[in-house]
Amino acid sequence: MSGQPYRLPANVGSGTTGRILDRSRRIAFSFDGKSLSGHPGDTVASALFANGIRLVGRSFKYHRPRGVIGSGADEPNALISVGESGRHEPNQRATQVELYDGLVSKSQNNWPNLKFDIGQINSKFSRLIPAGFYYKTFMWPQSAWMFYEHFIRNAAGLGTAASEPDPDTYEHMHATCDVLVVGGGVAGLAAAQSAAAAGARVMVVDECARLGGLADSSSGLIESSPQTEWVQSTVSTLAAAENVHLMTRTIAAGHYHHNWCLLLERVTDHDPSLAIQGAPRHRLWKVRANQIVMATGALERPLTFANNDRPGVLLASAARIYVNRYGVSPGRRGVVFTNNDDAYQTALDLTRAGVPLARVVDVRTDPRGELVEEARAAGIEVVTGMAVTNVDTVAAGAKIQSVKVAPYKAGSRIGGREERIECDFVAVSGGWNPAVHLYCHTSGKVKFDEDLQSFKPDRSFDQITPVGAANGTYDLDGLISEASNTGAAVAKKAVGSKVKRSKSDRPLASSPKAGKLEPVWFVPATGALNEGNKHFVDFQNDVTAADLELAAREGYRSVEHIKRYTTLGMATDQGKTSNINALGVLTGALQSAIPQIGTTTFRPPYTPISFGAIAGTNAGNRFLVVRRTPPYEWHCENRADFEPIGQWRRPYCYPKPGDSRHDAINREILSVRNEVGLLDASTLGKIELKGPDAAKLLDRVYTNTFSTLKVGKGRYGLMLNEEGFLMDDGVTVRLADDHFLMHTTSGGADRIAGWLEEWLQTEWSDLKVYVTPVTEQWAQFAIAGPNARNVLENLDGDIDFSADSFEFMSMKVGRLTGYPVRAFRISFSGELSYEIATPSNFGHSLWLALLEAGENHGIQAYGTEALHVLRAEKGFIVVGDESDGTVTPLDLGLGWAVSKKKDDYIGKRSLERAYLAAPKRKQLVGLLTQDPQEVLPDGAYAVAELKDKPPMEMIGQVTSAYWSPTVGRSIAMALIKDGRNRLGDVVDFPLDNGKVVKATIVDPVFYDKEGAKQNV
Amino acid sequence: MLMITCPVCGAEGDETDFHCGGQAHISRPASTDPHNVSDDAQRDYLYIRNNPKGLHREMWMCARGCGKWFHAERDTVTLEFKSYYGITESAPPSSSPNPAASKTTKKKSAGR
Amino acid sequence: MSDLQFRSALSHRRDEDLPMDLCVSLDEVSDRAMIDLRGSLDDPKFVAAATAALGVALPAQPRSSSVKGDITVLWMSVDQWLVTTPRGSEQALLSKLVKRLGNTFSFACDVSDARTIIRVSGGDARSVLMKGTSVDLQSPVVKPGWVRRLLFAEVAAACQFVHSDPDTFDVYVFRSYADYVWEWLLAVARKGARVQLYGKQEPPLV
Ligand SMILES: [Zn+2]
Repeated sequence: MSGQPYRLPANVGSGTTGRILDRSRRIAFSFDGKSLSGHPGDTVASALFANGIRLVGRSFKYHRPRGVIGSGADEPNALISVGESGRHEPNQRATQVELYDGLVSKSQNNWPNLKFDIGQINSKFSRLIPAGFYYKTFMWPQSAWMFYEHFIRNAAGLGTAASEPDPDTYEHMHATCDVLVVGGGVAGLAAAQSAAAAGARVMVVDECARLGGLADSSSGLIESSPQTEWVQSTVSTLAAAENVHLMTRTIAAGHYHHNWCLLLERVTDHDPSLAIQGAPRHRLWKVRANQIVMATGALERPLTFANNDRPGVLLASAARIYVNRYGVSPGRRGVVFTNNDDAYQTALDLTRAGVPLARVVDVRTDPRGELVEEARAAGIEVVTGMAVTNVDTVAAGAKIQSVKVAPYKAGSRIGGREERIECDFVAVSGGWNPAVHLYCHTSGKVKFDEDLQSFKPDRSFDQITPVGAANGTYDLDGLISEASNTGAAVAKKAVGSKVKRSKSDRPLASSPKAGKLEPVWFVPATGALNEGNKHFVDFQNDVTAADLELAAREGYRSVEHIKRYTTLGMATDQGKTSNINALGVLTGALQSAIPQIGTTTFRPPYTPISFGAIAGTNAGNRFLVVRRTPPYEWHCENRADFEPIGQWRRPYCYPKPGDSRHDAINREILSVRNEVGLLDASTLGKIELKGPDAAKLLDRVYTNTFSTLKVGKGRYGLMLNEEGFLMDDGVTVRLADDHFLMHTTSGGADRIAGWLEEWLQTEWSDLKVYVTPVTEQWAQFAIAGPNARNVLENLDGDIDFSADSFEFMSMKVGRLTGYPVRAFRISFSGELSYEIATPSNFGHSLWLALLEAGENHGIQAYGTEALHVLRAEKGFIVVGDESDGTVTPLDLGLGWAVSKKKDDYIGKRSLERAYLAAPKRKQLVGLLTQDPQEVLPDGAYAVAELKDKPPMEMIGQVTSAYWSPTVGRSIAMALIKDGRNRLGDVVDFPLDNGKVVKATIVDPVFYDKEGAKQNV
Repeated sequence: MLMITCPVCGAEGDETDFHCGGQAHISRPASTDPHNVSDDAQRDYLYIRNNPKGLHREMWMCARGCGKWFHAERDTVTLEFKSYYGITESAPPSSSPNPAASKTTKKKSAGR
Repeated sequence: MSDLQFRSALSHRRDEDLPMDLCVSLDEVSDRAMIDLRGSLDDPKFVAAATAALGVALPAQPRSSSVKGDITVLWMSVDQWLVTTPRGSEQALLSKLVKRLGNTFSFACDVSDARTIIRVSGGDARSVLMKGTSVDLQSPVVKPGWVRRLLFAEVAAACQFVHSDPDTFDVYVFRSYADYVWEWLLAVARKGARVQLYGKQEPPLV
């Protein structure tokens, strides 16, 4: 473990350095395999600084060496991978990763290692990688794309995904609040305080581990004391309040319609040991806020000068934050480069902490703000009307040796004498941009502010109010006053509070009076044509000022197009540091002002959120909602091979030891054909309809007639949608004059109940019918096969199952071995078949009783695949197999179930439309392959004429195809153009693999055409 | 995530609690005179919908509350719900009309 | 029904030990039968018949319930109620209802096995349930007797606030979803994952 050579002593000069550090404890961590140490309170970035490590990664496109620029969410460069195996996560900002004992971190985007990176060669050929490089180069020749892609995927990309499953848990949480305050800095806390005092339920969220924002690193006093003292007491008050919820390590990732917000709380990232106690790693909050106060602060922007991306160039605010908060020096000797007063605070703080400062370089000719005077009085050397024009480096660009400084005049080339100043870091400030991202996620519009030279919130349809720096209010007293008033006002809107407020309810503050900022968008380098000098605008996406100018020269005018062409402001960064500077560069290139150019769209999330958090609790065995039928455990115990049918899990087949699926299915089919089988059909949709108009409703929703049905009898019905296409089918039974039981497909149960309700409420509100779904009330089993009656008669009960008493398509209510049942004589297999329904809690037991009763009759449970083959052998359709939302009953040869007498039913008028009534539509037919062993794949296309290669005219497709053990050959059903007139024709099915299957068109009933088997 | 209030039962909820049924007040020609529905009328009924910028009248259903359908007026620009009214009520005259929709509203009763 | 084998939706979980580190208690309430009752409050004959048969007035107020003796009536919609009664008594109650309702436009239907009830109880019950539903269970309207249909863990459910001290909710889920919801609750109810929303808290660092 090495020392921490850049760690500053705790007390130097008049200020405190390393305010939040616990210097009494050391923490061990590693970076690229090197063992290092830091202290509790450190981030990976501050600890790397302390250890003298400046080179933390390589850039996306040119693989240039990069260092830390910022101190928080705005960091575009220092993206690292943290954690190992399943806990490995790439693209974390080192500035936000809190140090913990044993943390393992790695740099990204370099190969074979950070110091020697082969991709750096991209830098040498950078003139060949201009804006739009991907679009221009890799488009041609097309055949080379595979080669290029291989190169790109390896050389570029941001980190790698974890290779192991993630061992952590994640969850969601919902919350409702009157006022959501985003940002726990001075403005956010002041707003929260007044909102809470007005009686509102307030949530305050901040992305950092600590509240207070920049209170410890910005100038000004509150109530004549350092800002952190006021922050401390306010946080204590808010924490003690019943109506306030304070959250740290939580980002407001997105703002959506009607003030719905997504927050990501990082629960264990700072201390993975919490996960052992059951804490989720991340918690995704879905918050509905009546009012939102956006106190997200502002982000400092860098300055655009030659080689401004070298490790050692960092934001002025970050430089003083590292000193004040973390007690680390960004280097041995620095230069401050600025166009505004705020950077003088950095100069003052650094000097106070004993960090040598060579110069403050100010582009302004006559800066006169109070901080400027203070710096001068402190003996800091200030040069004005000058700019840093270039950076000289050693160690292949990884270390700054000196900067060049020359007289600067906006818009002109650099002239005059150039001075070289030795230093190893440059703290830059180009002004501050309000962090308007959240504001813009939904309806918020921004406007350009000349004083700030940036965009600030303008108007929004949503109840979101920006305050403080996020609103462009940087003056401390003004900021507190604005936040405090806003907090009270929005609380009043939300809860109608009548608490009276006076001016004295808010703390008074004072801060140095600032001078005017001078916009600087581009500092030209000296030397001919700026050759070899890159001026970076977007560090994360490696977009330079020259790229933007090129895009403009090539004719791009819209900033949204330029963004996509150059990749500016994309990806995880969302233009936090780059957006305004890019617009500034474009003012020259496009010859228009920033307000006219406009800004690009900020999209959620503000910073990336984990996939785990999005999945939440729905991982592992909770990945999907799973529905179980009453005998589910029996299925499990009997080796059921399950298949998902919607959310249901249904046994597909029951392989015995040594059985293949195919063996099991064939055995199950033959047992139904020869003896008897038992099917769990509990998923079948069941809906009861009751009321004087129940029959009338059925006549309107089915194509056939139900009002004529006798009590105790059932009828098969087809349901169409209004477009005339088949939507559902099933048997409906009349329980009483005004009472019916409708069966729907398994997948249609909920949808059809909703459909009936919709028609009853919106179109036929005069019909008196109550619709009650009862799918879950009943377990239902099919007993099918020649021995079915024997099995049922084996059980005690009061139902006469004999052929004379219990006719086909009828139902009886009674008891079977004590259980209350509804028995139906219906068949989906063509065999003698009954369905027995019993209340679900008896389902498991009745299932066992039926198996026991059938033991001597050869009973076997059969699954959904056997069910499908059995019905296909009989030519029965399945909605969703033979129909796909474009198929009518007439197409399927089900005209017999379509009434010609009724005036109206849903879909009737559409069936008469020319397209649906046309001849030669695709019609349902059977297929027999010429090779009886060949089973066609589902969906295989039939062609009119076979050709060497596509295109070929498609005349239909296979809807179902199976091996039929009953007829001992393959069978299939298909929809073929004019199929019913083509019986006997042979058609070709060219398959994906080049093989062509020939099949003869036949009638779709393959077995027991006369229906003798169920008529016993 | 829109926030919706059911006018029937007063339940408040978001889009996961409600179901949007699309444009309101489209009358079903076959319900009036099933034997005299032109192809054009049937086409309009099935497929022709407005896509207004501004006020839009829609059908919604309180899926996790009372299960009842209702009408809502919603501004498609601000996404604000301007008013709610019963499923069997015709469009309120007070608000600015949705020309295409009101033209096809023939029935007084519920419009699908 | 003594010799009939009754198996509730979560009977297979009965012998399973609950994890020690749950911050709420979880139970299946399987001894309640349920009747789905439909009818119009505007029909005085229906209201009178239902009240007479149940011995308690139908709750007309949305999201409320009424209790008398063994019978609880939960509001489900403006024309729908879920009547719960001890298992074994439902057929008698149903017959009574059907007889009294006569030919009024109404429907009483036995749905005893369609749903099961998961009881979630403890000081953290509200926040545990709020991991799965957007309904604000901390709202002052959530008083004993409060009922609401909602989406819980992406599943259609109904929720009744039974009583406070400790906070106790009955979550009604359709039978087929019971195991999934149970599994889901076990995952979110771990002590280490407790969420305290609002109220006094440790002040965060500054
Ligand atoms: Zn409702």
